[in-house]
Amino acid sequence: MRMANFRSSYGARRLALGVLLSVLLGFFLLPHQLQILFQEIGGPVGWVLSWPIRLVASVQGGIGETWSHYVALQDVEDENRQLRKELELLQGQNSQLREAASATDRLTALLEFKAQALPTMIAAQVIGRDTGNWYRTILLNKGSADGIQADMGVVTSVGVVGRVVKTTMATAVVLLVSDPNNAIAGLIQRTRDEGIVEGTTPGLARLKYIPLLSNVRAGDRVVTSGLVGGFPRGLAIGTITTIGKEEGALFQSAELRPEVDVNRVEEVLVIQSPYIPGEDGKSDGPLPKAKP
Amino acid sequence: MKIVVYACAVAALVAVHTTVLPYISVWGVKPDIGLVAVCLIGLLSGELEGLVVGLFVGWAMSLFSATDLAASMVAKGSVGFLAGLVGRQVAQVTPLVLVSGLVVASTLSSLMTIWSLKPNDQQDIWWMIRTILMPQACFDAVVGGLCYWLIWSRLNLDRLAEGREF
Repeated sequence: MRMANFRSSYGARRLALGVLLSVLLGFFLLPHQLQILFQEIGGPVGWVLSWPIRLVASVQGGIGETWSHYVALQDVEDENRQLRKELELLQGQNSQLREAASATDRLTALLEFKAQALPTMIAAQVIGRDTGNWYRTILLNKGSADGIQADMGVVTSVGVVGRVVKTTMATAVVLLVSDPNNAIAGLIQRTRDEGIVEGTTPGLARLKYIPLLSNVRAGDRVVTSGLVGGFPRGLAIGTITTIGKEEGALFQSAELRPEVDVNRVEEVLVIQSPYIPGEDGKSDGPLPKAKP
Repeated sequence: MKIVVYACAVAALVAVHTTVLPYISVWGVKPDIGLVAVCLIGLLSGELEGLVVGLFVGWAMSLFSATDLAASMVAKGSVGFLAGLVGRQVAQVTPLVLVSGLVVASTLSSLMTIWSLKPNDQQDIWWMIRTILMPQACFDAVVGGLCYWLIWSRLNLDRLAEGREF
């Protein structure tokens, strides 16, 4: 057993009480100013603290790679067989899509549509997760020094991951699409009905505010509407699994299965400036560019 | 020297929290080892150290989380201060005292966080208490108990510290 602390002097106790009261008073009286101050100071501190995180993350990555390459190979044969079947199916679909794509190209040229500019993106690696249990977030190895700011959208080649909520000089915190506190403007691809996509407590997502007259059904894909937030139009968010219609409600809602498995994402792209169509139809967005 | 040790400990805590703990979470809840560390420091070194280290740990951890900065700092700082106060009232820190104290500290800290959150229609307070607060309090107590056992029973740091004093 350990003797508890008796050595704390009366002066130290009074000082501690004074500091605690000052901090409490400060956060009650000047909450916004103190938040900004600590966030500003936190930039360089975050840069320093990001190094041990990177170190541990790289060691962890190395161990994970060794495990997946040499140890966890038990189900590879079954998986290989399954993938071959999927490949055959996808090859068939691919040839159909090529036909559809060439038709679309011709029609696009005929209608003189403007080609949509690609947004500027920054590639980043996931180096960690939230330090608390209250939010579902991931930590990126790029921060404000690389041009990342709060509210920027984060995607992978598969679809939407979330949006940046906080940055230090060398890291960025991304609130995932599956977090109940996240809200992204969505659009049902088939019916063109708009709504708000938010996360759910079990870690999936749902589309809210779908008009009652919409003939939405399970299997419909939901994409970003591009109206608000840091996302351009048309990025995949998820696929509708169930529709919820409550009696007397003004809207219907739908459960979604997010397109991206946010628990396994390792590399992401941060959208610096989404494409915004100008009044003359020209792109206001920058030229296609990707930073390494 | 002590400042350097604490700074290194905070850096290590944040690194472990963001990279390792997500893989050992139970039902999506991971222990708050920052809170456990602040409690132990407050309990054994007094209010001032508990408070200052708590404020710094809360601040550092909030930089890598979506959690509100003020709530995180105030919660951890208060826990460190309270642990220091309790440390003066308790003659000897037994595992039972430590585990009970950690349950109370973790509950208080989580209640502060809940108070600062703006829950939406899916997250009522009971849901937060049931799914996050209670499991985390138990988890923190277990981790704190293990740390106590490891540090003072196995590594015998207490005897080393006493030896250095004389």
